[in-house]
Amino acid sequence: MSDASQSSLRQIKRRIFEILEGDVVDSSSRICELFIAGLVVANVVAIILESVHSIHEAYEAYFHVFDLFSVIVFSLEYVLRVWTYSEKHTGPGDSPWQGRKEYVFSVFGLVDFFSTVPFYLQLLFPGADLRVLRMFRLLRIFKLSRYNSAMEDMLEAIKSEWDSFSSAMFLLFISCLLFSSLIYIIEGHDQPEVFPSIPAAMHWFMLTIISGWGNVDPVTYLGTVLVIVTQVLAIALAAILTGVVATAYTAQVQRRESIYEMEVREVLADGVVTEEEKTKLKTLQAKYGMSDEQVDAIANQVNAENSAQQ
Amino acid sequence: MLGKLQKNVMEILAGAPHQPLSRYVEWMITVVVLVNCSAVILDSVPEIHAEHKEFFHELEFWSVMFFTVEYVLRVWSLGARFSPEEGGAWKGRKGYIFSAFGLVDFFATMPHYLHMFMPGLDLRILRVLRLLRILKLSKYNTALQDLFQAVYAERRAFGSAAFLLLISTVVSASLMHFAEGHEQPDAFGSIPHAIYWAIVTITSGYGNIEPVTKAGEVIALMTGFLGVCMAAIMTGIVASAFSTQLSRKKSAYLVQLRKVLEDGVVSEAERTTLKHLQTQYRLSDAEVQKMSDEILAAKADKP
Repeated sequence: MSDASQSSLRQIKRRIFEILEGDVVDSSSRICELFIAGLVVANVVAIILESVHSIHEAYEAYFHVFDLFSVIVFSLEYVLRVWTYSEKHTGPGDSPWQGRKEYVFSVFGLVDFFSTVPFYLQLLFPGADLRVLRMFRLLRIFKLSRYNSAMEDMLEAIKSEWDSFSSAMFLLFISCLLFSSLIYIIEGHDQPEVFPSIPAAMHWFMLTIISGWGNVDPVTYLGTVLVIVTQVLAIALAAILTGVVATAYTAQVQRRESIYEMEVREVLADGVVTEEEKTKLKTLQAKYGMSDEQVDAIANQVNAENSAQQ
Repeated sequence: MLGKLQKNVMEILAGAPHQPLSRYVEWMITVVVLVNCSAVILDSVPEIHAEHKEFFHELEFWSVMFFTVEYVLRVWSLGARFSPEEGGAWKGRKGYIFSAFGLVDFFATMPHYLHMFMPGLDLRILRVLRLLRILKLSKYNTALQDLFQAVYAERRAFGSAAFLLLISTVVSASLMHFAEGHEQPDAFGSIPHAIYWAIVTITSGYGNIEPVTKAGEVIALMTGFLGVCMAAIMTGIVASAFSTQLSRKKSAYLVQLRKVLEDGVVSEAERTTLKHLQTQYRLSDAEVQKMSDEILAAKADKP
């Protein structure tokens, strides 16, 4: 292959990488994103509708064609991603397979793979259980989280508040063991059909924690006390979880605002706002999902401080 | 003369602080609305309705008269809002008529006249529209506006939470369909059926249908637990939105305060602006005092 064609191939690869990765915000990557997200939503709707017997009977052929089309698009997407992700690390010592490996074994890579490939398995082994296949198809819904930071935000929040979160989980775990053993000892004789074993009592405990009522009324006094304590614990646990989320979320917002504020301070330090700096701030704003009012408030404050100092 | 009256009426109805009458008007409207809502509730009890039918009828008639006068006065007086150069009398009126408050005022009152002319109308619709009157109170309640503002400021976070809710609903419904579709075809025979179950389980922790398989039990527990987490996320976002809103208001006030204290002199006009801002942001006197102390202390340190 000549050098010229090789470099143009490289350019195409680079461009496809940019479009798929969506780091560079332009109209093609936006369209690509919308197309894939739309197809995923249509797929989920199709899976839901297909499960209705009458609809499935009437439109089976359409569903089949649509699934075939989706699998072709998603396969193409997967292949393109694997091919172009060699562009991720372009340092002198980096092998092209480093970026590819990272993608293939990332959460998104695995989701992309397992939501598509089972279709081919079915072609090879027509006897496979359809329900398992449908479950894999459902994985496609997680492709959406590439375009929505909700999941990442939540995981990040849990990570930043890991101490309080893990102690809440520990409390849940300990009390689950303790309370289900106790209720089994206290009520096991009186209601052997609902508390035949400790695992069954654990099921009762989790139900009580989740909904406030475990589907069983106690018959002994001690059992009643235990149920009431469990219900109070459920409220406490919900409060702890809420508190953890609220703190984590507020901390995240503050962290983002202070990073943005630092950026604004840097930009305003020399008194001149260049076009480049403006774009940088805009990108940061979009990345952090800050509203215009928030940004204005920060800029006003920095301005006020600057003028107060002079 | 008429123009001045029009302006005064507009200010009274809009609750301008320098019009002493405005507070009484506000109270009167609030009381009439509350009496009206109690009447709608009591009227729905058959015994009370039978006994006091005449009274309720009378009350409704006079309330409608009262609200009609209020509506007409509002529309008329808002003509004074913009001078002819700014767009004329009808700009302000149109702004009010098509605002949320204007529409509420209209639909809470006018259907009664329809009933007079067309007695055959469905009474239930009229009753629902009468309940709209309670929304008139939100004009005087900044808490509701605060809530909307906070929710609007955190709309992205709410969007993310809604996304998570959607994903968890669809995924748990589908899993339940796969696990129990054969065992309980009535309840989980299709994913739309199972979605109903999933929503009930997520909101209340306990589904309308009990799973019969071990896998179904585990999925039901997980769905219920997801529901607890979703409630925590929503509550957390609202709590955080309120506290962020408060700190934002404080910092906005601080900027103003700094500007005022910069030259060392606080003029009468500046004082009024600050007072106005304080009521608008609903900051307590202690908070304001603390802020100005801090600024003055910082100033004393610097020179």
